[in-house]
Amino acid sequence: MTHETPKDRMQDIWQCQPVEGIKMSVEEIHSRAGKFEKKVIWRNVREYAAGAIVVVFFGLAFAGTHDWLGRCAFALLIAGTAYVMYQLHRKGSSRRMPEELGTGSSLQFYRSELERQRDLVSNVWPWYLAPVVPGLLLLAITSIVHNRQLWHVAALVFWYGLIAVFFVFVWKLNARAARRLQRMIDDLGAAEQP
Amino acid sequence: MSEAGAIPAVRCNQDALYEEAAAEYGPALERLAHAYEAEPETRRDLLQEIHIAVWRSFASFDGRCSRRTWIYRIAHNVATSHVIKQRRAKGQGLIGLEEMETLPDTRSGHETADRNQDLARLMEFIQRLKPLDRQVILSYLEGLDAASIGEITGLSARYVSTKIYRIKEVLARRFNPGRTL
Repeated sequence: MTHETPKDRMQDIWQCQPVEGIKMSVEEIHSRAGKFEKKVIWRNVREYAAGAIVVVFFGLAFAGTHDWLGRCAFALLIAGTAYVMYQLHRKGSSRRMPEELGTGSSLQFYRSELERQRDLVSNVWPWYLAPVVPGLLLLAITSIVHNRQLWHVAALVFWYGLIAVFFVFVWKLNARAARRLQRMIDDLGAAEQP
Repeated sequence: MSEAGAIPAVRCNQDALYEEAAAEYGPALERLAHAYEAEPETRRDLLQEIHIAVWRSFASFDGRCSRRTWIYRIAHNVATSHVIKQRRAKGQGLIGLEEMETLPDTRSGHETADRNQDLARLMEFIQRLKPLDRQVILSYLEGLDAASIGEITGLSARYVSTKIYRIKEVLARRFNPGRTL
């Protein structure tokens, strides 16, 4: 018969659990820190590959169009996509200086991570959706200038309507995520130091 | 002044601090990584990331808090970032300790004396918790007192005490139903 309390029994089970005993020498740390930096760079490259493909696609379209209005539309789309990618990189990056991880409490860190994510998704219009709108509109105008037949205009209205619905869907989805994150931030208030 | 090609003094100090920390807290960091990531390969990556962050941080460690607090803060913060990223990628939901209390225990009937089984269930239980609750329970299981947990997490002493009380209740109900606190 043991006289262990649940407290010391669970703490004992926890602290005595087998571990692999993974050790990293200082030399290994130096080497892996360098490799880790490269890994982060490649991860960023992969993340922005989709944007790069879109830019290349519009770039080819730009080169293949001799109409100045069409060229302006593709140039605007390229600029808009590049701006979105830049903002994604700027707002989405969560890399911090190592000392920041130790000087602030875990609660401060968690709160700042949640706030950063909330700010990212709270209003996606100015930085995620709107930048490509001028290019899309000018592309539609170019298309109508070249072909004013009713069926063509109707098809454009249909496709642009779908794009508009998609934009509203993305906006609403992000706004909902922002509200959820805000609730999580509000919940932290009760736990903070007086 | 250091000679050309020699390792600067600050780097030597950083390395020395890291080696001491790794020797003293290595197993605790490994347990912590396990509590944040179930998948072995990803867990090794996370542990590696924690070690690198600890080593890097010692370049600017000024002793404003204890070394233990510093190391645990870094480890929890790196691991919390990992959980947030993973949750976003996999769409997993995490729950609080209070919600966990209301969930039925899936264990089959009688009390188990199998420590391995208890450990596996405890790990599964912790891995479902929200980051702050997870930090408190892990610190508690590592044997830290409420004041130390408050210093690491930034949670108020009252909040930590309440949480620890709830943790004891939940652990008692799930793992030692026949025993009292």
